[in-house]
Amino acid sequence: MGTTTEINTDTIQSILKQNKKQIKLGLAMCAHCSLCAESCFLFVSHDNDPEYMPSYKFINSIGKLYKKKGKVSRQVLEDMRDLVFEKCALCTRCYCPFGIDIPALITLGRNVCRSQGLFREYDREW
Amino acid sequence: MNMTTFSTIFSNPVFLNFIKGPMVWLSFIIFGLGLIVQTFRLLKLTQIKEARRVAPEEDLSPQTDLSGWERFTRYLAFRRVSVLGSNACLVLISVIFHVCLVVTPIFVMGHNVMLDTSFGINLISFPEQISDILTKFVIAGGLIFLMRRLFLRRVRMISTVNDFILLFVAVAPFLTGFLAYHHIFNYQVMIVLHILCGELMLILIPFSKFFHMVFFFISRFMIVSEHSMGTPKRSWQF
Repeated sequence: MGTTTEINTDTIQSILKQNKKQIKLGLAMCAHCSLCAESCFLFVSHDNDPEYMPSYKFINSIGKLYKKKGKVSRQVLEDMRDLVFEKCALCTRCYCPFGIDIPALITLGRNVCRSQGLFREYDREW
Repeated sequence: MNMTTFSTIFSNPVFLNFIKGPMVWLSFIIFGLGLIVQTFRLLKLTQIKEARRVAPEEDLSPQTDLSGWERFTRYLAFRRVSVLGSNACLVLISVIFHVCLVVTPIFVMGHNVMLDTSFGINLISFPEQISDILTKFVIAGGLIFLMRRLFLRRVRMISTVNDFILLFVAVAPFLTGFLAYHHIFNYQVMIVLHILCGELMLILIPFSKFFHMVFFFISRFMIVSEHSMGTPKRSWQF
């Protein structure tokens, strides 16, 4: 779907910079306990596939971007698109024992994808 | 290096006096100041904000005309979809682990005897058998968490080396204390390792994921959210 093949790292970095505190706190406080898993209806309806676990989705989208300082390849970003658009419905029902706002972090992942021309592919055949 | 080499290093009076004296003070100071500074930094990310009204006030007030049975069934329905329903066993293990982790070091006889002889502070202590059981709970809990991290795919997928190190740091003081108390292996080595591990843990608490001991209470009792408790007035300032 994306028309450009290049990644505009500056745009990604500015999104990361604007939301640095939130991303940093979320990553620092996630105890990797996996208690959020069952609160995701997509996780449950996909035979408990760990890729649908809320913490996995935010760690491997915006978390990964933050750690790599926005320097990622197109392919990595396309995988992220699947994670934040296809594997999350942003229903905001995920529950974190520590109160980390996971939907807000996934939204940031979507922002980054959108800024690079990556959206949900409604016409994709699975 | 074998146990005897360790033993000779660990029985060096200069080294021993350092870790039993200044090092204890230093770690408690780092722990205390670190907690204050980090809590202040965390609170700076929040602000007092009037809650957004999503429904007329009367709709928000809890229903008081429910019978006891209705309340009970509603609670059951809520429990089914909450983390208590989906992971009851893990929640129970986690609560026991955390309570024992915090309570045991405060009420263990050995620590309080030292406080008494050094400062004349007389605190209540658990009988030694009870401390022993609580320590076993912590070690068992740590072992269960380790097994989950190693063998449960969903936990392994998000685990990092850091998680394993911190789990070890959290359980190590209890493991070494347990071994020293029961005189398993070399007592001198174990008790020195126990002191070192305890100090390491204290120092790391404010600056690692252990800081969730403060973050948890702030996000639960001070930040407005669906799952907050009490009457919080703050929200994140992102």
